[in-house]
Amino acid sequence: MSEEIGDTIALKLEEVGPGVAVTFEIGMDSYFDVIRGLVDNFAPGKGLKSIYITSSVPSSTLLSAMEALEVNTKNIMFVDCISQLIGGNVVATENVVHVENPTMLENIILKVDFLARKLKEGGTLVIVDSISSFAIHNDVKILSEFLQVLLSGLKSRGAYPVMISIAGQTKPEVREMIGFLSDQVISLQGTH
Amino acid sequence: MQAMERKEERGRCATGIEGLDSILGGGIPASNLVLVTGGCGTGKTTLALEFLIRGAQKGEKGLLVSTVEAPEKMLAGIPRFDFFDDKLLQDGRLQLVEAGQLAEKTGPVSSEKERGIKMVEEIEKIVSFGGLKRVVIDSISSFIPELGDEAAEAEILKKISRALYAAKCTGIVISDRMDASENAVADGVVVMSNHERRGDLLRTIQVIKMKGTSHSRSKYVIDLTSCGVLITPLLKGGI
Repeated sequence: MSEEIGDTIALKLEEVGPGVAVTFEIGMDSYFDVIRGLVDNFAPGKGLKSIYITSSVPSSTLLSAMEALEVNTKNIMFVDCISQLIGGNVVATENVVHVENPTMLENIILKVDFLARKLKEGGTLVIVDSISSFAIHNDVKILSEFLQVLLSGLKSRGAYPVMISIAGQTKPEVREMIGFLSDQVISLQGTH
Repeated sequence: MQAMERKEERGRCATGIEGLDSILGGGIPASNLVLVTGGCGTGKTTLALEFLIRGAQKGEKGLLVSTVEAPEKMLAGIPRFDFFDDKLLQDGRLQLVEAGQLAEKTGPVSSEKERGIKMVEEIEKIVSFGGLKRVVIDSISSFIPELGDEAAEAEILKKISRALYAAKCTGIVISDRMDASENAVADGVVVMSNHERRGDLLRTIQVIKMKGTSHSRSKYVIDLTSCGVLITPLLKGGI
């Protein structure tokens, strides 16, 4: 676990403030460091609750990993778009809602809206994990439309929208889209 | 000038469904009769119930006329809204009536059409005496099951429309078919359907017609949640 990455993330997000779409370009080796940086280093310090959209790793796996890292998961809600597709655990709980697969993009927007309404008070950190995996299931045209609608809504509500992009696993046209839709793209490669 | 004043007097009946009110530019023009049409499982009943409950919450009394099943069963069958309060039923802000109860009051009739007209008169009485502001009939298709006469059905719908307009009451009538004569009579038509995209089935809503307001005619995707009906634009990139 690299404390440096967690601190860098918290610092960067602190600098940009709410309503700014930030993409963190990361290496796969620092994946859990980045997640911890977001949901443990940054969000609790700002009194934020997290809505975690996952299209790559099932929420149950993420929860187990977070618990192993001693991250407090009480204030983390998941929109799980992958478990049902891979035939995994799809039992809805208070903190997990499922979308059948990562191509049901409108339903993802609606689930984020639903969770934001459930949370009612306080700010929100919304994590899209990851653009690279969403791009496996969707073409760039509809993916960019989805992100624009999602990010615009989040920005207007003063949330912290954060996208994760995996370096080396993202096609050039997807990188171009990320650059177009993000207010800031921050590369965390080599930050150890 | 007079026309403008009339328009201002009429005002809007905000459905309380945020996304729908936004599509309609603030809500349904007050006293309009809106036909909500679509196949099974598209969310028509849930949408209409939220319309009634949101209204009742802000003091606009509402009536649900159920022709399909007992209203209590209908309420139990939809996702439980977080904002629903049983007090709305207890204090009469929300009233539920089964169509069969209305039919019993009509007494002997010579035709199904006559029964339909008399049932509308019963609804009219409840609306007028109770000072109701919102009515939902679920569904018109089975309001008079043996009618099967499009002209007569349109006539009954017209009668409902006139009665609600006179009582300054906004109505939603649910139908499970897209019928030209019904669409022509209603002030508004909202189509709910299932949109298939690459094997995914999305619930959608589209306002086809709404007299008295400009409105979006785009298709939107909906989700039926405990927070109510949530709405977002249908993405076009994948079509």
